[in-house]
Amino acid sequence: MISWRTLVTRLAPLLASLGLLVIWQLASLALHNDSFPTALESIRVIPSLLGDPETLINFAASLRRMAIGFAVAVAISIPLGLLMGRSRAVASFFNPLLMVIYPVPKAALMPIIMLWLGVGDLAKTLVIFLGVSLPVIYHSFEGAKAVEEKMLWSGAAMGLSAARRMVRIVLPAALPEILAGCRTGLVLALITMVTSEMIARQSGAGNILFNALDMGQYDTVFAMIIIIGALGICLDAAFERVRQRLVRWSDPQFDIPLSFS
Amino acid sequence: MSARLVTSNVMLGFIPIALVIALWQALVSFGYAPVTLLPPPGRVFARMVQQLLTSTFQQEIVATLFRLFAGFAIAVVLGVTIGLAAAANPSVNALVRPLVRVLAPLPKVALYPALLLLVGFGHESKIALVAADALFPILLSTYYGASRVEQKLIWSAMAAGTPGREILFKVVLPAAAPSILTGCRIGLVISCIVVFLAEMITSTDGLGHVLVTAARTFQAVDMFVPLITISLLGLILNGMLEAVRSYLLRGFPEV
Repeated sequence: MISWRTLVTRLAPLLASLGLLVIWQLASLALHNDSFPTALESIRVIPSLLGDPETLINFAASLRRMAIGFAVAVAISIPLGLLMGRSRAVASFFNPLLMVIYPVPKAALMPIIMLWLGVGDLAKTLVIFLGVSLPVIYHSFEGAKAVEEKMLWSGAAMGLSAARRMVRIVLPAALPEILAGCRTGLVLALITMVTSEMIARQSGAGNILFNALDMGQYDTVFAMIIIIGALGICLDAAFERVRQRLVRWSDPQFDIPLSFS
Repeated sequence: MSARLVTSNVMLGFIPIALVIALWQALVSFGYAPVTLLPPPGRVFARMVQQLLTSTFQQEIVATLFRLFAGFAIAVVLGVTIGLAAAANPSVNALVRPLVRVLAPLPKVALYPALLLLVGFGHESKIALVAADALFPILLSTYYGASRVEQKLIWSAMAAGTPGREILFKVVLPAAAPSILTGCRIGLVISCIVVFLAEMITSTDGLGHVLVTAARTFQAVDMFVPLITISLLGLILNGMLEAVRSYLLRGFPEV
């Protein structure tokens, strides 16, 4: 039997979303602005939008690029970050370069990358990869730096080689921090995906959104915002499930993502 | 760490940057990339210095910086206020928590069309987007910093007769300062990125607009200049924030 209290806590995000929609509805009714449709009008467009195979193909293309970019970025960034965290030389080798790249908006590289790779999948996937890798590297770095020395010493004393110490001790110990980075990276992948498609209008969810904006189909614009927003929230919630399962042993951590760099 | 070690670390850090530039130059000079697509680094930097001296380019930088600072300032004020309130008051917390859970993972760039339609194409929509994106890291790190303040500090302040409101400003806020400043640092980098993106989407001035104009006319050299400028701006702002941080946290143990 679930108590009333836990029920409310579980449903709180849902209630919050409903509350936001109600505020939107009231605001648009009060404003009477042609370019600001009400929440109900926008929601009514969603079924027809999602029923259109064209839209679904676009979304599938977007999600595929995002998945590939995210997966490759995670696969490369975690080892690099862990190495940087354990070796001062590696850290001081890569840190300045990463600091220089950090404030550059990755999606802004899109026009340049497009010149070399064309407007296709490769350019967009590369941009997503760049966007995801920095926070994952950074968090893996911080996580590996904070591993307790004593555990490494005992590992070494028991005859674990350096490589095995990395896999058996540093990786699990840094896992909570790494997953925090991956969570940031996931949201960032979605953001970069939308922006890259906005710049190279060829296919994808961002393409539909910004084309609708240019053509003045405001209900489609707002419907797409709802869909992309819901996608972000669902992906984040799904990742949170996985994260909790993987790091059940660690201290109960934040249930909301900490950083969005 | 000794001074010599620091310098050797700094030297080590320059190697990859030098390598990237060398690779860039090599790609051009060995003819792997046509000069129209990848201009040689020397020409890009010369063009950048030349641009930095012109008043039009300086105005673009000023426009970008204005939006960046305005959005960032709003985010800091709102983030710290809401974060502290949520940490101090359970009913505010119950309201803020689910809202943040829903709003934080939302890709804010997708909201930009809505902002454009609502507040127009001027400064406001860009500032609003910067504020919306920088808000959450600041809010969250304020919240965690404030809710982890040692209870004994608060008890001693209460025992000394400090009224509730003053405890918030004299005990909780300073104790949460390291965490808040970490959030601000993340927020600042995000502000740099977002202001540039917003200017790329629709704008008539700013660094993002410079990039888009150059891209439309296939001026590869001019495309690199705003990118390097925003990277340098990010580094400078980061350094300034670091200075503020070490001034504000001068009484704290080294973090």
